[in-house]
Formats: sequence, C-alpha cells, structure tokens
Amino acid sequence: MTDFQSAALPAIATRGLAKHYRKRTALTDCTITVPEGRISALIGPNGAGKTTLLRLLAGLATPTAGEVAVLGATPGRDLALLAEIGFVAQEIPLYRRMSAEDHIRMGARLNPRWDGASVRQRLESLSIPLDQAVGTLSGGQQAQVALMLSLGKRPRLLLLDEPVAALDPLARRQFLATLAEAVAAGGLTAVLSSHLIADLERTCDHLILLAASRVQLCGDIDTLLAEHQVLVGPRKDTTAIERDHTLVHAVRTARQVTLLIRRKGPVIDPAFEAADVSLEELVLGYMGQDAPPAFAHLTSVGEDQ
Amino acid sequence: MTWLVWRQHRNQAYFAAAALVAFAVLVLITGLQMASQYHSALTACTVSHSCGNLANTLTLGTPLLSLLVTLTVVVPCLLGLFWGAPLVAREFETGTSQFAWMQSISRGRWLTAKVGWALLAAAAWGGAVSALVTWWSSPANALNQQNFQPGQFDIQGIVPVGYAVFAVALGIAAGTILRRTLPALAVTLGVFVFLRLVIGQDLRSHYLTAVTVIYRFGHAWRHPTGSYWLIAQGLIGPGGHALNTPASFSGAAVNGVPIAEIPATCRALAFQPNLKLTSCLASRGYHGFISYQPASRYWAFQGIETGIFVLLAAALIAVTAIVVLRRDA
Amino acid sequence: MISFRLDGRSVVPPYLQIVQQVRQALRMGVLDVGDKLPTVREVVGATAVNPNTVLKAYRDLEREGLVEPRAGHGTFVVGRPPGPPPGTHALLARSLGQWVRGAREAGLDDESIESLLRITLRAAAEEETA
Repeated sequence: MTDFQSAALPAIATRGLAKHYRKRTALTDCTITVPEGRISALIGPNGAGKTTLLRLLAGLATPTAGEVAVLGATPGRDLALLAEIGFVAQEIPLYRRMSAEDHIRMGARLNPRWDGASVRQRLESLSIPLDQAVGTLSGGQQAQVALMLSLGKRPRLLLLDEPVAALDPLARRQFLATLAEAVAAGGLTAVLSSHLIADLERTCDHLILLAASRVQLCGDIDTLLAEHQVLVGPRKDTTAIERDHTLVHAVRTARQVTLLIRRKGPVIDPAFEAADVSLEELVLGYMGQDAPPAFAHLTSVGEDQ
Repeated sequence: MTWLVWRQHRNQAYFAAAALVAFAVLVLITGLQMASQYHSALTACTVSHSCGNLANTLTLGTPLLSLLVTLTVVVPCLLGLFWGAPLVAREFETGTSQFAWMQSISRGRWLTAKVGWALLAAAAWGGAVSALVTWWSSPANALNQQNFQPGQFDIQGIVPVGYAVFAVALGIAAGTILRRTLPALAVTLGVFVFLRLVIGQDLRSHYLTAVTVIYRFGHAWRHPTGSYWLIAQGLIGPGGHALNTPASFSGAAVNGVPIAEIPATCRALAFQPNLKLTSCLASRGYHGFISYQPASRYWAFQGIETGIFVLLAAALIAVTAIVVLRRDA
Repeated sequence: MISFRLDGRSVVPPYLQIVQQVRQALRMGVLDVGDKLPTVREVVGATAVNPNTVLKAYRDLEREGLVEPRAGHGTFVVGRPPGPPPGTHALLARSLGQWVRGAREAGLDDESIESLLRITLRAAAEEETA
C-alpha cells in the first residue's frame, strides 16, 4: 500500500457535475478527484449538496450535466461497478423486521463477494445481537449494523452519508477504527460526510468542502493546510495582501483584522503575525461566506496537474 | 432474491393462507351439505315429476352464507390493497429500495422478483377462492341458472383471477408512481372500483353482439334455455321501433315496459291473465323482443373479461418497470 | 508491545506524536533493539488514525535510523536515539519521584516545584558556561 500521489486511476473523478431539480439546484460545476486509498472527509453546511454528490457517485441518481467516473466506470450504468461500491444513507435503511443475521444471509445471496464471517465477528465484538429484529435495536446499533454490512460487501469504494451521527463517542471511535483498518488492509477508498471535525481530522487525509452547492476545496488535507495561513494584525489596508494571495475570509474589528488566506508565495508583511491553520479554522473560513465564483474552478491540489 | 421476497412477505403469506384455509373449510362443509340437499331434492322431484318447479320450492343454504360468498367479490380488491400498494411504495418510504439496489443486483432483477411473485400469489389466491366458490355454487347454478348474471359472474370461473392480477398490478403501479403507501391505497381502491363498475356494467354486455329475438304474440317461440343473461326486453310498436324501456324504471310494467307506454286501448287488460293483453297487442301490430347473451357464451365472456384485465395489468407493470428503471432512487 | 496514545487537541501533528512516543519508549527502555513495532493495521485499529499517518511516522523513524521494515515480517527497531542508555531515564525518574514526594511533604505546590526546577536548570546552565 502506498500513500504517494497515485498515478493510477483515481477512485473518483468528476468534471462539471451538476444536479438540478425543478425548484432548486442541488449541485453545480462540481469537479473533484479522490485518489485511491484515501479516506476523504465530505464537509459542508446542510443543503450544500453532500447527499446529492454521494448519491450521484453511488449511481442512485443521474446527473443533469457533467461527468462522473468511479473506479474508471460510470456509476448507475455498469452493473459490475455496483458490486464495488458501498453506500450507507443517512436514514440507515434496513429491513426493520429482519434480524442482522437475515441481512447477512441476504448479502451473501445478492453480492458476488461477501464476507459474512467478518460482519458477524465485528457485530459480536460490539455486543450487537444477531437474531433480534433490527427495528428493535437502538439507533446507534442500527448504524453499526448498516456500516458493518456495507463493509461485508468488500467494496472498493465506500460512501457514507453522516454515518457516525447516531453513535456515541466510543461507538464512533470504534467505527472509524474499523473503517481505517479496512482501508489499511488495502483496496478500499472511503468518502464520509460528517460535521464532527475532530473525528475527521484524526481519520481522514483528504477533504472535499462543499458550500452553496459548489466545491470550495478538494485535496489532501496536509497540502491544503500548508497552503493556507491565518494573518492577525492591526486594522489597516490589506489590498496588497489580497492582491498577492487569495483572501478566503476576513474578520475586521475596530482595532484588528484577522485574515484567512491561501498563499501564492511567501507573506512579507511584518505588521502581521502568521499562524498555522487548523482544519476547523479552514473549514469554517470557507463555509462562513458566500462562495466567490473564483473557487468554483478549483481543481484538486496535491495532484499532478 | 426469491429468498428475500419470501422473508419480507412471509407473515402476509401466512395470514392469507390461514384466511384461505378457514374459508375453504367453511365452503367445503356447507358445499357438501348443499350438494347432497340438492341431489336428494332432485331425486324426490324426479319421482313425483315436479322438477320443473324445483327452483321455486327449494332454497339452498342460508341468506347469511350466500351473502358471505357474494362478498368474495372484494377479495381481488383486498389483494390489491394489501399486497400491491405497499410492495414498492413501502420500500421507497423506508429507503430499503435504496439498500437493496446497492446490493449488486440490478433494479430489473429486483423488480422482476417482487412483481413476479406478487402477481403469481394474486393469481393463486384469486383462483383458489374462485374455484371454491364455483364448486360451492354448482348446485345453485344448476338450480337457478344465475351464474351469467352480474354478481355471480364476477365471483365464479376465471375472472376473479384476472381481477386479482389487475388489482395487484394497479397497486404496484400506484405505489411506484406515488412513492407513498397511503395515497397508493386510495388511488388503487378508487381506480379499481371505477374500472370494475364501468367494465362490468357498461362494457360487458357488448363483448359479443347480443342475440335479439322478435316474437309475434300468439305464436309459439323458443325461449332461451339455461343460464342465459337477459340484457333487454320490451315491446316493438307497429312502426318497428322499440318502446321506451328506461333502465331505472322500477314501477308497474309489463314485459319490461311501463304501463303508461302500452297503448291505451290495451292498458285496461294489463293486469288480467296474460293471453288477453298479448292478443290485444298482437292485433294492434305489436311484437315482443328480448336481447340476451346465450348460456353457451358464458365461457367466452369469462375469457374476454379476464383477458381485458390481464392486458390492463400488463400495461401497468410495463409502466412500473419504466418508472423504476429510469427514475432516481 | 507499545501502544500509542494520540491527543487530538495537541498542536503536535499525529504522525509526530507517534515518532515522539517511539523515541520516548526507546529512551525509557519499553522498546529495545530487535523489538517489533505494531503493524499499521494494528495502530489504525486501536486509534482510528489514518493509515498514511502511521506510514509517515514509520518512514520518519526509518530515516532517523531507529527502525527498519523487513518485507513480510513487519517493522523492527534497529537503533536507539542519541542519549543515555535506556535504564537511565527509568532510574532518574524514580529518584525524581522520591524528591518530588519529599518536596510535597515539605509544603511545596506544583507551581513552586516547577519554578524551582527552572531556576535550578538555569543555574546549572550558567555553571556549565562559566
């Protein structure tokens, strides 16, 4: 397993992807790349298009415009690709009157590659009863069942829509550990949407940030963090800085100005104190403003251009 | 996929099987009883040469039992509501359709399994109920010759299979298009009842051109025999056109024609023994007519009506398939 | 076998925390030359940290000459960080612990102990340069 920038086929590649409904636009001009082996965090405010993007990647919805390629094929059209993609929706759909064991048996019959033994073993280690109707389990337990089932399919790409929202901190940690371990074993790329930045910071190494139905950022987290900087200084004219770099977010008080910039070179202004950006600051900075059109044309960073 | 369909609908199947068994037991017990009752009455009347009057003197079964059997007309509708409407709609509502479609099977395979088994079950249950009712009714049919009449026609023979398959297909289509079970139930009920009424009451009599016999009063003519279905009857005036026989008229009438329409000169004789009235009308140039469907056409009509409903079902399934395959999950 | 504890709120990036904890374990004698480090999968399974983070840490340790991957067998410790032999830290930690107990009994609180330590370190540094 390598973590170098993979010259091989990216797990996900979209170009100009858009989804319009009659009354609203869910996603426009979405161009992203996710290399194989990444655990990507899909972040954005509610209604930004995260669920839409995941459904388009899974092939459950068809795009209104643009292209989407998953593992080199078009989702929704290629049946062989369906066996390689796992998807868990936010509502954790399961057959409520059937037990976890029933679901495992169903998985064995309907999927070409199925590892029921590992699903059973993982659920047992979480003390989740296998022969009880899943509708009677707690929300957190249902989420665990759904997530373990998605791993049992042995997919090459796993798409998870707010998977850990219903879980307590321990269950969250356990699930993320299981997910990361599966990625470490090789052959799995994961995209998970979540609001919990602390979790994402620990487990994810790639970021897709959506706001106002557009992609604001897409790339490896380390690279993105290295490219951004927070500048704190006295309230003064900042046009020079804004001209030399890209201003993401500015907070101006009577005496002070705090800038979040994306650097295009070194920052040479002794009046300002520079600080590293945390993932949370980066995300909040991009989310806390109307999307300037310039960001719509961002391509992935950290990739060979 | 078959396993999944069974596992999902197992309880429904058990319940329906139990209901069917209970119904069968009731039908078998009472049916055997009625059959033996009929046969002994037949033996008795043959001895006393009074079989012609048997229909007026013998009553088979009880009114309550007959009512219950007549009520089996709702069975196809119930199947459509309980098995058809929730089949796809429930899965859309709970999101399990999405779950299933991410299990490496195509939507087509998923739909084929669910719809296939549902229609098969509908045909089986509709057919079983109908077979039981038809068998149970055979003494009554022989006695009263009513099985071509609306009401009896709908619950015997093969049409209940057609109705059941159509009802379930309708429920499935409604559920697929509307994506919610409750609206689908309402639409299924409304459309099913409407179509059954329209086809049964208005269309059925026209499947084949009715046989019309114009008879001259005073001359012998051959009455239709067996379980023929009377469509219309009345008088034909001297001009050659039929007298007004309003369909909803339920007052005093002769031969289906309201007293008021009978020419004044003959009206006085309306309630005297038949011969006087008919010879009065005959002398004025009046004829009688009846339009009917002969008993020999019973199975042709059963086949045509079943065919209509099966074709409708096929069209609905086609629409369902297109919607499922094309639309976003 | 060493187990890692990652502090999400520390300013030190996770991969660096792993590197530091391995170095510290070597200094304390918890790990020694020839020991096997936990596999990437084991670390990830225990901490839910990204596999790349562990890989990066192990590569840094390899570059420092502390560990070496052996194909098919795992990553093994091959060197120690510069400094006193492993037992030293443990020994000093014990005597320091005794001293701290004495200081507490004498009535010093943590802040006083820390400032005393700082003053002593500074004095020692001046002595060395003098």
